[in-house]
Amino acid sequence: MKFIDQFRTGLRNLARQKLRTSLTIFAIVIGAVSVTVMLSLVTSTKSFLVSSSEKIGMDTQVIVTGTSGLNYRESQWIGPDGSGKKIDADVLAAVEKLNNVQSATLYLAGSMFDSYKVDDQELTMKNVGVEGYTPNGTIKHILIAGSELSDSSNGSGVLISSDLASDLGFKGNETALIGKDVSFHYRKDMGPPDAPKADEVGKIIGVTSSDRGSVLSVDLDWAVEFQTWPNPQNNQNNQNNQNGQNNQNNQNEQTQDQSQIDRMGYGSIWVSVDQKKNVDGVLSEIKQLGFGAAAGKEEIDSQSTAFTIIGAILGGIGAIALLVAAIGVVNTMVMATLERTREIGIMRAIGATKKTIRRLFRVEAGVLGFTGGLFGVILSYGFAIGLNQILNKQLADSGITDRDIVSISPQIALIVMLITTVIGMLAGSLPARRAANMDPVEALRYE
Amino acid sequence: MSFVQCSGLKKTYSVGGEEVKALDDVSLNIEHGDFIAICGPSGSGKSTLANVIGGLDQPDQGSVMVDGIDLANAKDSILSEYRNKKIGFVFQSFNLQAHETTLENVIAPLTVAGVGKKQERRERGMKALERVGLSDRAKHKPTQLSGGQRQRVAIARALVNDPQLIIADEPTGNLDSSRGADVITELKRLNAEGITLIIITHDASVAAQATRIIEIKDGKIVERDGTK
Repeated sequence: MKFIDQFRTGLRNLARQKLRTSLTIFAIVIGAVSVTVMLSLVTSTKSFLVSSSEKIGMDTQVIVTGTSGLNYRESQWIGPDGSGKKIDADVLAAVEKLNNVQSATLYLAGSMFDSYKVDDQELTMKNVGVEGYTPNGTIKHILIAGSELSDSSNGSGVLISSDLASDLGFKGNETALIGKDVSFHYRKDMGPPDAPKADEVGKIIGVTSSDRGSVLSVDLDWAVEFQTWPNPQNNQNNQNNQNGQNNQNNQNEQTQDQSQIDRMGYGSIWVSVDQKKNVDGVLSEIKQLGFGAAAGKEEIDSQSTAFTIIGAILGGIGAIALLVAAIGVVNTMVMATLERTREIGIMRAIGATKKTIRRLFRVEAGVLGFTGGLFGVILSYGFAIGLNQILNKQLADSGITDRDIVSISPQIALIVMLITTVIGMLAGSLPARRAANMDPVEALRYE
Repeated sequence: MSFVQCSGLKKTYSVGGEEVKALDDVSLNIEHGDFIAICGPSGSGKSTLANVIGGLDQPDQGSVMVDGIDLANAKDSILSEYRNKKIGFVFQSFNLQAHETTLENVIAPLTVAGVGKKQERRERGMKALERVGLSDRAKHKPTQLSGGQRQRVAIARALVNDPQLIIADEPTGNLDSSRGADVITELKRLNAEGITLIIITHDASVAAQATRIIEIKDGKIVERDGTK
């Protein structure tokens, strides 16, 4: 029997039991939708994260730390704590000389402020980091408003992350923050208690997406000043020679501070490698210099792995739905073989081989699977559109320009349809074999 | 060599734990163009004999050769091809597919065998329907036809592959006497065209028209009428 005739016969037989066929297909649709949507959700989110990471150059980023064995995440916020090897301008120079290093900057992170103020709003700086780096393109952000730090921002430009912008009530209106003054109030427990420093004042020049957490970014030189505390002895002098000595005091303070940074070093050095494939080489060269080095791509990879695992789990849940649907197919096909026993007898009498009968039922089950898969995929595309509408709003709210991040790839759609078809055919195999092995004489006698 | 050669056929069924001898050492030869009536009471084994000759069933013992094909030992594909190409079955209850049209029923053996294109099959089907005088009923469903017409559709289906042998198991059993007579006339006409005909029947008047009557009782041939 030709395949086209088997297919036609299968369709026809399915059409004879519309309700049963629809219900069986519906079960497959549910399975197909769960597999498609879950897999697509995971792969889409994964590729969104990867592309976002690549936008800020994370895939070619390496962080050099004084302590070895830290991963990228741990390296990010490390401050100068005196442990490990000292990170300073000499190390920076050595790193910059390495092959394939595009740019590098010293990096300083700290939490020396307890509040910050924009307009009349004063907000706590608990869990908010302040980072400083040289704005030479090594560290990049996804900007929601304004621009990156640059040499022209006169040293007191501030980038503010979008979650802080929304704390300030500028959610969706981040542009309005640009140009506003921001002042930082020092923590009381920082530095000598008898010599509190005055608030630092800067200007907001950009709002960044919060993918690296709540953070305020400033020029490295200014960040160095934040961590600069007058020497108690200088303070003593300061108090003794009250007025007219301020300039000199500042000079003293600077000198003293520089020596402090000299002693403790910077937190880390951020490096931008020219190409992703050269990252491993740069990593090992830095390690040979005796420093810790962590690559952003490791973080991307570990996130990707996490998403793959989540995908496997969610896909597994979808697979269970498909398994249940497969049982439905078995049920339907067993019913069909029983109902059509006499027809099977007739077909055998007019010359159908066992193989033909087997194929006929298998094709029919395959048609159930394929139809379920097809409608499942179509429905999934609908879900994706709906989901994207919700997500687009969320993305817009958090100032991210990406849209329609949930996408069902044609590969996933095809694979799901293939899987449902194969599952249908496999599920139909047992009933098909039963049908084929019926004794034609008995089958013809069946009432 | 005879067209059909059966020798020492044995077939036992187990019904409710009891063994029933459907065929008990049956030997029989049938020649090309014969019109054979197989008679006997219910359960005598006449249908089993017809099924064995028709390749629907295989004997436990003995040999059955039809047109040089050893049916007793043939595998499924050979038997199926044999049923498809050489045999036409006509059943008491017509055994038409109710959801298919008359024409679709008639061409089913061609479809099953994957013969030619759809158009070619339809043409051959229409010819078979013409032979039984039902070409104007091609698009009807079996339920829209009378019993006699349905049986003629079944005959057209049996004819569509130009078989050498038609086996009709109680073809008039579900018909009134005049419609039954029409069907027998139809079958006799085909026999006259050279197709070997085996009719299984209870009806003495049908049997009387055969060239040879084979009486079966308890799985044995008890009586053979000579050629009329």
